[in-house]
Amino acid sequence: MGVFGENNADVQYWFGRASKLSPMNTPLPSPAPTGVDSPTAASGTVDASKIYGIGDAQVKALDNVTVSFQAGQFTAIMGPSGSGKSTLLHCLAGLDTLTTGATFIGSTYLASLSDKELTELRRTDVGFIFQAFNLIPTLTAEENIKLPMMLGGETGDAAWIDQVVSAVKLDGRLKHRPSELSGGQQQRVAVARALASRPKIIFADEPTGNLDSETGAEILDFMRRAVREFGQTIVMVTHDPGAASYADRVVFVGDGKIVGDLADPTVDQVIDHMKQADS
Amino acid sequence: MSFRSTALLARKSIRARIGRTVAIAFTVTAGVSFVVGSFVLADSMRATFSGLFNELVSDVDLEVRSAEAFAGNSERDPIDASIAEQLSEIEGVDIVEPSLIRFAQILDEDGELVATTGGPALGYSYIGDAGLQGITIKDGRAPIGGEELVVDKATADRVGYEVGDIVSYLTDAGTHEGELVGTIGAVDSDGFLGASVVALDIPTAIEKFGSDGKVDAIDIGLTDGADATAVQAAIEDILPARIEVITGEQLADESQSDVDGFISVFGTGLLIFAFITAFISAFIINNIFQITIGQRLRELALLRAVGASGKQVRRMIVSEAFVLGLVATVLGVFGGIGVSRLILFLFNQAGAGFPDTETILKLRTFIAAAVVGLGVTLLSVFVPARRASTIPPVAAMRPELGFEALKKKQLIIGAIVAAVGVVMLIIGLFVQPGPALSWAALAGAGALALFLGVASVSSTIAAPVTRAIGWPIAKLFKVPGVLARDNVARAPRRTSSSASALMIGVALVSAAAVFASSLRATFTDILDNAITADYIVTDPNFFGLSPAVAESLAALPELEAVTPVRGIGAQVNGDTKGFGAIDPKAFEVLVNPDLQAGKIAGLRPNEVLIHTDPAGDLNKGVGDTIEVLWQNGIEGTLTVAGVYGDATFGNWLISLDTLELVSDAPARDFFIIGKLADGVSAEAGDLAVAAATADFPQADVQTNAEFRKSQEDQINQLLLTITILLMLSIVIAILGIAITLALGVFERTREIGLLRAVGMNRRQLRRSVRWEAVIVSTFGALVGIVLGTFLGIIASLAVPDDIVSKLAFSPMIIIVVLVFAVLAGLVAALYPSFKASNMDVLKAIATD
Repeated sequence: MGVFGENNADVQYWFGRASKLSPMNTPLPSPAPTGVDSPTAASGTVDASKIYGIGDAQVKALDNVTVSFQAGQFTAIMGPSGSGKSTLLHCLAGLDTLTTGATFIGSTYLASLSDKELTELRRTDVGFIFQAFNLIPTLTAEENIKLPMMLGGETGDAAWIDQVVSAVKLDGRLKHRPSELSGGQQQRVAVARALASRPKIIFADEPTGNLDSETGAEILDFMRRAVREFGQTIVMVTHDPGAASYADRVVFVGDGKIVGDLADPTVDQVIDHMKQADS
Repeated sequence: MSFRSTALLARKSIRARIGRTVAIAFTVTAGVSFVVGSFVLADSMRATFSGLFNELVSDVDLEVRSAEAFAGNSERDPIDASIAEQLSEIEGVDIVEPSLIRFAQILDEDGELVATTGGPALGYSYIGDAGLQGITIKDGRAPIGGEELVVDKATADRVGYEVGDIVSYLTDAGTHEGELVGTIGAVDSDGFLGASVVALDIPTAIEKFGSDGKVDAIDIGLTDGADATAVQAAIEDILPARIEVITGEQLADESQSDVDGFISVFGTGLLIFAFITAFISAFIINNIFQITIGQRLRELALLRAVGASGKQVRRMIVSEAFVLGLVATVLGVFGGIGVSRLILFLFNQAGAGFPDTETILKLRTFIAAAVVGLGVTLLSVFVPARRASTIPPVAAMRPELGFEALKKKQLIIGAIVAAVGVVMLIIGLFVQPGPALSWAALAGAGALALFLGVASVSSTIAAPVTRAIGWPIAKLFKVPGVLARDNVARAPRRTSSSASALMIGVALVSAAAVFASSLRATFTDILDNAITADYIVTDPNFFGLSPAVAESLAALPELEAVTPVRGIGAQVNGDTKGFGAIDPKAFEVLVNPDLQAGKIAGLRPNEVLIHTDPAGDLNKGVGDTIEVLWQNGIEGTLTVAGVYGDATFGNWLISLDTLELVSDAPARDFFIIGKLADGVSAEAGDLAVAAATADFPQADVQTNAEFRKSQEDQINQLLLTITILLMLSIVIAILGIAITLALGVFERTREIGLLRAVGMNRRQLRRSVRWEAVIVSTFGALVGIVLGTFLGIIASLAVPDDIVSKLAFSPMIIIVVLVFAVLAGLVAALYPSFKASNMDVLKAIATD
């Protein structure tokens, strides 16, 4: 690790202190954005490293990654299996913790938060869409959608929820349990849940990985509409160039590092980029 | 934080996992039912008995009887019937009714003894409905004069006696007969709580019962408007020394507290087993929750990911448990009423002769049900719920990270708990601080802590031990056997906790077995060394034998020595002691009491033999005198004539002559021992003894070997009773193994699908699950046997040497327990193996 490791620790320490002293509204120490110019970053990392295991068995899943994701944008993170893309997403979302470095959502640095504050943040500011096992099996579709709000003791914005439900074409399926829904319907419930609380940012981990291409396209189309029409921010991990082409920007990850960045990608551009990375 | 969301999640979860919910609710319900049943039975019996006793004496305003210096264990001295005449002359006295209750055995038409239904065979004095006793005429009328009698209706109906028949009966004064003129019953029942009763008018009773002009007590009814206190004072003035007069209320209170004492012991005994059952169900619920939380890992992590706090996850699980506990409590109250009926039925089948009782539900019973039902469930879910709250949200996508959070080892805590348990147990049993209840509670708590600790620590030996148990199974059943063995060994924590419930049940049975074996060994040792008697004569009804039996035996030339053994209470330095009374000359021949100093045979009136323990405590030796206060209030001085070391016959021995000097109570022999004279064959002796006791059908003559056998039978009976009471716990333990196994099968759905896909047939799969259960139950039984043997040894060492002085083990019981464990495993595997073999292969493989 050497000098960098110590530096990273310092950075984390100072960012942590800064946001503790003035939790919100602290002006961001503008992390250098790679690629697209944008006035506001909804989320990002600074010198983020994540190491699993000890000694010889050490695996560096993230290696000094600094990246930011713009508000109101649909960003895809791509990379081969084991590249660290999922770890990056988990750390960005506050589901997992970094070994060194910092991650932020809006103006909040996650390392400075207690478990309670982190829970609160996940409930109000973050939405999730996973590849599978997105829904609580014992609850109906409607209850699953409202779950984050209910956990906070709120009912949510009924009109907004109605709008979301009809947008994902779930009317009539709301009283069904996950086991009574198709894979595509389950993912639509997951998307609706992620949108229902109007989070600052939605993280999606291979949301179409378990779906056939037609159903997957429907979900991706809807995610893109959520960004265009509702101004939602979405960060999605995928290894499917087709899925990535729905995004406004693609960030390529390899061996725990950012290895490329592409704006307004087409499927061919993404494939080309991947071939370059492989060679 | 929202209660609504937790409540919703909990409710939905209960509904979705209804099978598991029912299983948990059942185990809790069983424990609650047993606790409620114990309370209901004790309360109901108390109400029934005290109601009966109150009614029996409700007409008695005052009673005259001989006084007692302290509450002892022998009968009060009788009083002269002639006092009655003086009493009737006192102003305000309306009815004076002497009462006499003695031994009287009804004979059937062939002259054979009529067995009672659990109670003693009694003779009453009775003056009819005008009297003060709560006895009512059922048919016919009351007896008048020496040729008439009545019998209790229950016995008359059973034997087939009708009014007008001639009935024979046997008393201490011989065999008599009279004409049956009616039937009677206590208050409004047909019988006398299982006793058989023959009743005569007062003069006839005095004559035929051979009471030598005496009666037990004289009951008094006052005229209307008489001042009870004034009458009581007037009576006191004319009474001779050591005769007292008490009110009817006092009399009722006395019988009430006698009943309470008995029922409390009975109820407490049941409660101990009820709490053991509840304790074992706590183990199982804890295990089930622990496993299901592992299975719901991703679901719980997902909840955390979408914004549930750890506290909300914990609250959700606790809410689930709470609802379960509540349902189980309500069901348990109903179940408890059934259990109380069942226990009553079982005890009556065994000949206890309890009356049919009404069902009394007190507030306390409901509170106990809630404490056990909710307490057990909430306590057992405490640790699993706390662990669930530590599952990290990332486990929703990477379950392997979540399992790490669940796998915290708590071995050190387990070891400490076990050690503390042993220390508490040893202090409780050997140091015995404070009153009996406190050290018994300390020892009990120590045993529970030991169980908890061992249950936790046993996971460290689970893998190697189950591999050893599984070795022959793997050899015998090839692939299914190997799979069974490996499945058990790969989750040692789960194996040990699912075996724990059975371990506790088996440990308690084994401890009781070691204790019983030691008790038997000690007893056999006494019969071999301390007592050289060839015959032991007892009264199965515990009413005591007429002295005529011993006299008739003593007259036989075939016997060298015969002595009856009687007893009386006396206070020495304010402490109540039991004194045995014997014929010293015969006693010396029959018993070897390990005499340390002095003599036995020449024991004179007002001399005493004492055991080395009181001799040491009081610092008395041969020739010293000891002041005693006899139970009837007479004070006396005894001279120590000898000191002995064997406590088989108690710590204090006086001669029969001394007993007659200090007590007027009717002489009843607890038992009689006798020895054949030199040169007399056993056959000749048996014949002579049988002839001498032929007139005393209540006397049960046993040879030394028969007596030994019957005592061993009693010990075995005790062991059997304990085992039966532990049965419910063991059934719950088997259920626990079944549930754990079913959950394990569910968890391995994919793996089972794979096994089936590559060619394992249903039968092989069933076999694999079945032997897995057998390995788990055998493991539990083995740990239980080791632990129980340890507990049994400690308990045997802790009790005084005159009860248990030898340690003994029964290999037979160990074999029976192990065979039982294998069977238990097979039973537990029935459902899980069926479930596994009926799985749809395609669906199983597709399971995520």
